[in-house]
Amino acid sequence: MSANDNADRTSWLGREFLTWLWFESERNSTHIELENIGAVAVDFGQSLVLEAPGLGADGNTVKSDAPTQAEEARTALRTGKKVAKTRILVDHGEQHYEVSFSAETFTFGAAKLPTVLTSVDDERLDERLALFDRLEAILDGLYVKFVRLRMDDEAWAEVRAAMYRWVVTPTE
Amino acid sequence: MGLLNGSASYSRFVTLGELPEEAVEQTWADALEANGFREIQPHSEEDMSAGWVRFDDAFESSWVPAEVIESSGVVVLRMRIDTLKIPAVTLKAHLIAVEKDRMKKLQRDKFTKTERDQIKVEVKKDLRVRSLARMQLIEAAWNIGSGELRLFSTSKTIAGTFVELFEKTFSLSLRPVGAITVLWLRGMSEEDLERLESLESERFHLAGR
Repeated sequence: MSANDNADRTSWLGREFLTWLWFESERNSTHIELENIGAVAVDFGQSLVLEAPGLGADGNTVKSDAPTQAEEARTALRTGKKVAKTRILVDHGEQHYEVSFSAETFTFGAAKLPTVLTSVDDERLDERLALFDRLEAILDGLYVKFVRLRMDDEAWAEVRAAMYRWVVTPTE
Repeated sequence: MGLLNGSASYSRFVTLGELPEEAVEQTWADALEANGFREIQPHSEEDMSAGWVRFDDAFESSWVPAEVIESSGVVVLRMRIDTLKIPAVTLKAHLIAVEKDRMKKLQRDKFTKTERDQIKVEVKKDLRVRSLARMQLIEAAWNIGSGELRLFSTSKTIAGTFVELFEKTFSLSLRPVGAITVLWLRGMSEEDLERLESLESERFHLAGR
Protein backbone atom coordinates (compact mmCIF):
# COMPACT_ATOMS: atom_id res chain seq x y z
CA MET A 1 0.00 0.00 0.00
CA SER A 2 1.50 3.30 -1.02
CA ALA A 3 -1.47 5.49 -0.11
CA ASN A 4 -0.49 7.69 2.75
CA ASP A 5 -2.30 10.44 4.58
CA ASN A 6 -0.47 13.68 4.72
CA ALA A 7 -2.61 15.88 6.94
CA ASP A 8 -1.08 19.11 5.62
CA ARG A 9 -1.51 18.15 1.99
CA THR A 10 -4.99 16.69 2.26
CA SER A 11 -6.76 18.65 4.99
CA TRP A 12 -8.57 20.73 2.36
CA LEU A 13 -10.10 17.57 0.90
CA GLY A 14 -12.07 16.75 4.06
CA ARG A 15 -13.27 20.35 4.44
CA GLU A 16 -14.31 20.53 0.83
CA PHE A 17 -16.16 17.22 1.22
CA LEU A 18 -18.18 18.45 4.22
CA THR A 19 -18.96 21.72 2.46
CA TRP A 20 -20.11 19.84 -0.64
CA LEU A 21 -22.19 17.54 1.59
CA TRP A 22 -23.96 20.56 3.08
CA PHE A 23 -24.63 21.89 -0.44
CA GLU A 24 -25.77 18.48 -1.66
CA SER A 25 -28.05 17.90 1.33
CA GLU A 26 -29.80 21.22 0.64
CA ARG A 27 -30.02 20.65 -3.08
CA ASN A 28 -31.10 17.03 -2.85
CA SER A 29 -32.20 16.47 0.73
CA THR A 30 -34.62 13.63 0.07
CA HIS A 31 -31.89 11.19 -0.90
CA ILE A 32 -28.35 10.78 -2.10
CA GLU A 33 -27.80 7.56 -4.01
CA LEU A 34 -24.74 5.52 -3.00
CA GLU A 35 -23.23 2.52 -4.77
CA ASN A 36 -23.93 -0.78 -2.94
CA ILE A 37 -25.90 1.04 -0.25
CA GLY A 38 -28.84 2.72 -1.91
CA ALA A 39 -30.46 5.99 -0.94
CA VAL A 40 -29.46 7.86 2.17
CA ALA A 41 -30.86 11.12 3.52
CA VAL A 42 -28.31 13.47 5.05
CA ASP A 43 -28.91 16.35 7.42
CA PHE A 44 -26.72 18.41 9.75
CA GLY A 45 -26.98 18.38 13.54
CA GLN A 46 -26.60 21.08 16.11
CA SER A 47 -23.00 22.06 15.52
CA LEU A 48 -21.07 23.39 12.56
CA VAL A 49 -17.45 24.55 12.65
CA LEU A 50 -16.19 26.56 9.69
CA GLU A 51 -12.53 27.37 9.19
CA ALA A 52 -10.26 28.69 6.50
CA PRO A 53 -6.84 27.11 5.93
CA GLY A 54 -4.32 28.54 8.36
CA LEU A 55 -6.86 30.45 10.41
CA GLY A 56 -7.34 27.72 13.02
CA ALA A 57 -8.93 29.25 16.11
CA ASP A 58 -10.38 32.13 14.10
CA GLY A 59 -13.03 29.83 12.70
CA ASN A 60 -16.75 30.08 13.35
CA THR A 61 -18.58 27.60 15.57
CA VAL A 62 -22.31 27.75 14.96
CA LYS A 63 -24.53 25.97 17.46
CA SER A 64 -28.28 25.88 16.97
CA ASP A 65 -31.03 23.44 16.08
CA ALA A 66 -30.44 24.19 12.40
CA PRO A 67 -26.86 25.52 12.09
CA THR A 68 -26.84 25.30 8.30
CA GLN A 69 -29.69 27.82 8.25
CA ALA A 70 -27.84 30.31 10.45
CA GLU A 71 -26.76 33.53 8.78
CA GLU A 72 -23.38 33.28 10.54
CA ALA A 73 -22.67 29.99 8.80
CA ARG A 74 -23.55 31.36 5.36
CA THR A 75 -21.53 34.50 6.00
CA ALA A 76 -18.52 32.35 6.94
CA LEU A 77 -18.88 30.52 3.61
CA ARG A 78 -18.88 33.85 1.78
CA THR A 79 -15.58 34.76 3.42
CA GLY A 80 -13.96 31.61 2.10
CA LYS A 81 -14.34 29.34 5.11
CA LYS A 82 -15.29 25.69 4.77
CA VAL A 83 -16.81 23.11 7.10
CA ALA A 84 -14.11 21.65 9.36
CA LYS A 85 -16.30 19.70 11.76
CA THR A 86 -19.98 18.97 12.01
CA ARG A 87 -22.61 16.58 13.29
CA ILE A 88 -24.05 14.51 10.47
CA LEU A 89 -27.46 12.86 10.67
CA VAL A 90 -28.07 9.98 8.28
CA ASP A 91 -31.22 8.02 7.54
CA HIS A 92 -30.83 4.77 5.69
CA GLY A 93 -34.10 2.89 5.31
CA GLU A 94 -35.53 2.58 8.80
CA GLN A 95 -32.18 3.18 10.45
CA HIS A 96 -31.00 6.49 11.86
CA TYR A 97 -27.36 7.34 12.62
CA GLU A 98 -25.72 10.45 14.06
CA VAL A 99 -22.02 11.21 14.21
CA SER A 100 -19.68 14.15 14.70
CA PHE A 101 -17.09 14.10 11.95
CA SER A 102 -13.76 15.93 11.76
CA ALA A 103 -12.53 16.84 8.29
CA GLU A 104 -8.94 16.97 9.46
CA THR A 105 -8.65 13.68 11.36
CA PHE A 106 -11.58 11.70 9.91
CA THR A 107 -12.43 10.66 13.49
CA PHE A 108 -15.98 9.78 14.52
CA GLY A 109 -17.34 11.50 17.63
CA ALA A 110 -20.33 10.54 19.79
CA ALA A 111 -21.65 8.17 17.14
CA LYS A 112 -25.22 7.13 17.80
CA LEU A 113 -26.22 3.88 16.19
CA PRO A 114 -29.65 2.32 15.72
CA THR A 115 -30.79 0.27 18.71
CA VAL A 116 -29.30 -3.20 19.00
CA LEU A 117 -32.05 -5.79 19.33
CA THR A 118 -30.30 -8.71 21.02
CA SER A 119 -29.26 -8.89 24.67
CA VAL A 120 -26.83 -11.82 24.21
CA ASP A 121 -23.28 -10.43 24.57
CA ASP A 122 -21.63 -12.17 21.58
CA GLU A 123 -24.54 -11.40 19.29
CA ARG A 124 -24.68 -7.86 20.62
CA LEU A 125 -21.03 -7.35 19.69
CA ASP A 126 -21.61 -8.68 16.17
CA GLU A 127 -24.70 -6.51 15.74
CA ARG A 128 -22.93 -3.39 16.98
CA LEU A 129 -19.93 -4.06 14.73
CA ALA A 130 -22.25 -4.48 11.76
CA LEU A 131 -23.83 -1.09 12.56
CA PHE A 132 -20.40 0.56 12.82
CA ASP A 133 -19.54 -1.05 9.46
CA ARG A 134 -22.74 0.36 7.95
CA LEU A 135 -22.16 3.87 9.31
CA GLU A 136 -18.62 3.88 7.93
CA ALA A 137 -19.76 2.46 4.60
CA ILE A 138 -22.27 5.32 4.30
CA LEU A 139 -19.83 8.10 5.23
CA ASP A 140 -17.03 6.57 3.16
CA GLY A 141 -19.52 6.14 0.31
CA LEU A 142 -20.46 9.83 0.45
CA TYR A 143 -16.79 10.79 0.54
CA VAL A 144 -15.88 8.53 -2.39
CA LYS A 145 -18.83 9.95 -4.35
CA PHE A 146 -17.49 13.46 -3.70
CA VAL A 147 -13.91 12.55 -4.63
CA ARG A 148 -14.97 10.86 -7.87
CA LEU A 149 -17.02 13.93 -8.76
CA ARG A 150 -14.08 16.15 -7.83
CA MET A 151 -11.84 14.23 -10.24
CA ASP A 152 -14.30 14.45 -13.12
CA ASP A 153 -13.40 17.83 -14.63
CA GLU A 154 -16.58 18.24 -16.66
CA ALA A 155 -19.03 17.21 -13.93
CA TRP A 156 -17.13 19.16 -11.28
CA ALA A 157 -17.22 22.38 -13.33
CA GLU A 158 -21.02 22.31 -13.15
CA VAL A 159 -21.09 21.57 -9.42
CA ARG A 160 -18.46 24.21 -8.75
CA ALA A 161 -20.54 26.85 -10.53
CA ALA A 162 -23.67 25.74 -8.63
CA MET A 163 -21.80 25.87 -5.33
CA TYR A 164 -20.58 29.38 -6.13
CA ARG A 165 -24.18 30.52 -6.71
CA TRP A 166 -25.23 28.77 -3.49
CA VAL A 167 -22.44 30.39 -1.48
CA VAL A 168 -22.94 33.95 -2.73
CA THR A 169 -26.76 33.92 -2.70
CA PRO A 170 -28.11 35.29 0.59
CA THR A 171 -30.48 32.99 2.49
CA GLU A 172 -34.16 33.90 2.35
CA MET B 1 -19.91 3.25 26.52
CA GLY B 2 -18.35 2.65 23.13
CA LEU B 3 -17.96 -0.69 21.54
CA LEU B 4 -20.89 -2.48 23.18
CA ASN B 5 -23.15 0.30 24.46
CA GLY B 6 -24.12 3.91 24.08
CA SER B 7 -22.60 6.51 21.80
CA ALA B 8 -19.04 5.94 20.63
CA SER B 9 -16.13 8.18 19.74
CA TYR B 10 -13.41 6.46 17.80
CA SER B 11 -10.50 6.65 15.40
CA ARG B 12 -9.94 4.26 12.52
CA PHE B 13 -6.72 2.44 11.67
CA VAL B 14 -5.61 -0.23 9.25
CA THR B 15 -2.92 -2.85 9.80
CA LEU B 16 -0.03 -3.23 7.39
CA GLY B 17 2.03 -6.41 7.29
CA GLU B 18 1.52 -10.16 7.11
CA LEU B 19 -0.34 -12.13 9.79
CA PRO B 20 1.36 -15.28 11.13
CA GLU B 21 0.31 -18.25 8.98
CA GLU B 22 -0.06 -20.83 11.73
CA ALA B 23 -1.10 -21.04 15.37
CA VAL B 24 -2.08 -17.41 15.36
CA GLU B 25 -4.30 -17.75 18.44
CA GLN B 26 -1.50 -19.22 20.55
CA THR B 27 1.03 -16.69 19.23
CA TRP B 28 -1.27 -13.79 19.98
CA ALA B 29 -2.38 -15.09 23.37
CA ASP B 30 1.31 -15.31 24.36
CA ALA B 31 2.05 -11.86 22.89
CA LEU B 32 -0.92 -10.29 24.70
CA GLU B 33 0.22 -11.79 27.97
CA ALA B 34 3.81 -10.71 27.40
CA ASN B 35 2.54 -7.17 26.88
CA GLY B 36 -0.15 -7.44 29.52
CA PHE B 37 -0.80 -4.72 32.03
CA ARG B 38 1.57 -4.45 35.00
CA GLU B 39 0.64 -2.44 38.09
CA ILE B 40 2.67 0.69 38.85
CA GLN B 41 4.91 0.13 41.85
CA PRO B 42 4.42 3.13 44.16
CA HIS B 43 8.03 2.93 45.36
CA SER B 44 9.32 3.23 41.79
CA GLU B 45 9.70 6.40 39.73
CA GLU B 46 7.25 5.11 37.12
CA ASP B 47 4.21 7.35 36.68
CA MET B 48 2.47 5.59 33.77
CA SER B 49 1.87 1.98 32.83
CA ALA B 50 0.01 0.66 29.78
CA GLY B 51 -0.78 -2.92 28.78
CA TRP B 52 -3.49 -5.32 27.71
CA VAL B 53 -6.18 -6.63 30.01
CA ARG B 54 -8.98 -9.03 29.20
CA PHE B 55 -12.08 -7.41 27.80
CA ASP B 56 -14.19 -8.82 30.62
CA ASP B 57 -11.73 -8.23 33.49
CA ALA B 58 -9.57 -5.13 33.98
CA PHE B 59 -7.37 -7.04 36.48
CA GLU B 60 -6.63 -10.11 34.32
CA SER B 61 -3.81 -10.28 31.79
CA SER B 62 -3.88 -13.85 30.56
CA TRP B 63 -5.76 -15.23 27.58
CA VAL B 64 -7.12 -18.57 26.47
CA PRO B 65 -5.91 -18.92 22.85
CA ALA B 66 -9.33 -20.09 21.62
CA GLU B 67 -10.92 -16.89 22.93
CA VAL B 68 -8.53 -14.40 21.29
CA ILE B 69 -10.44 -14.23 18.01
CA GLU B 70 -14.23 -13.90 18.03
CA SER B 71 -16.24 -16.18 15.73
CA SER B 72 -16.82 -13.18 13.45
CA GLY B 73 -13.06 -12.82 12.85
CA VAL B 74 -12.70 -9.84 15.15
CA VAL B 75 -10.12 -9.42 17.91
CA VAL B 76 -11.55 -7.36 20.73
CA LEU B 77 -8.85 -5.59 22.70
CA ARG B 78 -8.78 -3.60 25.89
CA MET B 79 -5.80 -1.48 26.85
CA ARG B 80 -5.45 -0.37 30.45
CA ILE B 81 -3.51 2.80 31.19
CA ASP B 82 -2.75 3.70 34.80
CA THR B 83 -1.22 7.01 35.74
CA LEU B 84 0.12 7.84 39.17
CA LYS B 85 1.09 11.49 39.29
CA ILE B 86 1.05 13.67 42.37
CA PRO B 87 -0.33 17.11 41.44
CA ALA B 88 2.28 19.85 41.94
CA VAL B 89 0.02 21.83 44.27
CA THR B 90 -0.55 18.75 46.49
CA LEU B 91 3.17 17.94 46.61
CA LYS B 92 4.08 21.52 47.47
CA ALA B 93 1.52 21.77 50.30
CA HIS B 94 2.69 18.49 51.87
CA LEU B 95 6.34 19.46 51.40
CA ILE B 96 5.85 22.75 53.26
CA ALA B 97 4.03 20.96 56.10
CA VAL B 98 6.75 18.29 56.48
CA GLU B 99 9.57 20.86 56.34
CA LYS B 100 7.89 22.95 59.07
CA ASP B 101 7.40 19.90 61.23
CA ARG B 102 11.03 18.78 60.89
CA MET B 103 12.47 22.24 61.50
CA LYS B 104 10.49 22.37 64.71
CA LYS B 105 11.69 18.94 65.83
CA LEU B 106 15.31 19.64 64.87
CA GLN B 107 15.17 23.21 66.17
CA ARG B 108 16.48 24.61 62.89
CA ASP B 109 15.24 27.55 60.85
CA LYS B 110 16.16 26.28 57.38
CA PHE B 111 17.42 23.31 55.37
CA THR B 112 20.13 23.09 52.74
CA LYS B 113 19.12 22.46 49.13
CA THR B 114 20.33 18.85 49.37
CA GLU B 115 18.24 18.30 52.50
CA ARG B 116 15.19 19.86 50.87
CA ASP B 117 15.62 17.67 47.78
CA GLN B 118 15.85 14.59 50.03
CA ILE B 119 12.68 15.59 51.90
CA LYS B 120 10.91 16.13 48.58
CA VAL B 121 11.79 12.59 47.43
CA GLU B 122 10.49 11.15 50.73
CA VAL B 123 7.25 13.18 50.60
CA LYS B 124 6.64 12.22 46.99
CA LYS B 125 7.15 8.52 47.77
CA ASP B 126 4.84 8.74 50.76
CA LEU B 127 2.13 10.43 48.70
CA ARG B 128 2.49 7.86 45.89
CA VAL B 129 2.01 4.99 48.37
CA ARG B 130 -1.14 6.68 49.71
CA SER B 131 -2.57 7.48 46.26
CA LEU B 132 -4.61 5.39 43.87
CA ALA B 133 -3.53 5.33 40.24
CA ARG B 134 -5.99 6.80 37.73
CA MET B 135 -7.24 3.99 35.50
CA GLN B 136 -8.35 4.31 31.88
CA LEU B 137 -9.74 1.41 29.88
CA ILE B 138 -9.61 1.82 26.12
CA GLU B 139 -11.39 -0.62 23.84
CA ALA B 140 -10.56 -1.57 20.28
CA ALA B 141 -12.04 -3.93 17.72
CA TRP B 142 -9.79 -5.31 14.99
CA ASN B 143 -11.19 -7.12 11.98
CA ILE B 144 -8.33 -9.41 11.00
CA GLY B 145 -9.87 -10.13 7.59
CA SER B 146 -9.98 -6.53 6.38
CA GLY B 147 -7.20 -5.28 8.68
CA GLU B 148 -9.44 -2.42 9.86
CA LEU B 149 -9.30 -1.45 13.51
CA ARG B 150 -11.49 0.90 15.52
CA LEU B 151 -9.90 2.49 18.57
CA PHE B 152 -12.57 3.83 20.89
CA SER B 153 -10.80 7.08 21.68
CA THR B 154 -10.05 10.22 19.71
CA SER B 155 -7.18 11.35 21.96
CA LYS B 156 -3.87 11.64 20.11
CA THR B 157 -1.94 10.73 23.27
CA ILE B 158 -3.96 7.56 23.81
CA ALA B 159 -3.71 6.69 20.13
CA GLY B 160 0.09 7.03 20.34
CA THR B 161 0.26 4.71 23.36
CA PHE B 162 -2.09 2.23 21.70
CA VAL B 163 -0.22 2.14 18.40
CA GLU B 164 3.10 1.55 20.15
CA LEU B 165 1.64 -1.30 22.25
CA PHE B 166 -0.22 -2.85 19.32
CA GLU B 167 2.78 -2.80 16.98
CA LYS B 168 5.02 -4.30 19.66
CA THR B 169 2.48 -7.02 20.45
CA PHE B 170 1.41 -8.09 16.99
CA SER B 171 4.51 -7.15 14.95
CA LEU B 172 2.27 -5.28 12.50
CA SER B 173 2.23 -1.60 11.56
CA LEU B 174 -0.88 0.42 12.29
CA ARG B 175 -1.76 3.36 10.05
CA PRO B 176 -4.46 5.96 10.83
CA VAL B 177 -7.29 6.09 8.30
CA GLY B 178 -7.52 9.62 6.93
CA ALA B 179 -8.48 11.43 3.74
CA ILE B 180 -6.32 9.31 1.41
CA THR B 181 -6.18 5.94 3.19
CA VAL B 182 -9.97 5.73 3.32
CA LEU B 183 -10.08 5.98 -0.48
CA TRP B 184 -7.54 3.20 -0.79
CA LEU B 185 -9.62 1.05 1.58
CA ARG B 186 -12.69 1.69 -0.55
CA GLY B 187 -10.93 0.48 -3.67
CA MET B 188 -9.62 3.62 -5.37
CA SER B 189 -6.71 2.83 -7.68
CA GLU B 190 -3.16 4.00 -7.04
CA GLU B 191 -3.36 5.91 -10.32
CA ASP B 192 -6.43 7.86 -9.17
CA LEU B 193 -4.86 8.50 -5.78
CA GLU B 194 -1.82 10.00 -7.49
CA ARG B 195 -4.05 12.15 -9.69
CA LEU B 196 -5.93 13.35 -6.64
CA GLU B 197 -2.74 14.75 -5.16
CA SER B 198 -2.39 17.12 -8.10
CA LEU B 199 -5.77 18.77 -7.43
CA GLU B 200 -5.90 22.17 -5.78
CA SER B 201 -8.35 23.35 -3.16
CA GLU B 202 -11.40 25.24 -4.47
CA ARG B 203 -12.35 28.76 -3.41
CA PHE B 204 -16.11 28.50 -3.79
CA HIS B 205 -16.78 32.10 -2.82
CA LEU B 206 -14.63 33.28 -5.73
CA ALA B 207 -15.45 30.51 -8.19
CA GLY B 208 -17.69 32.74 -10.34
CA ARG B 209 -15.01 35.35 -10.94
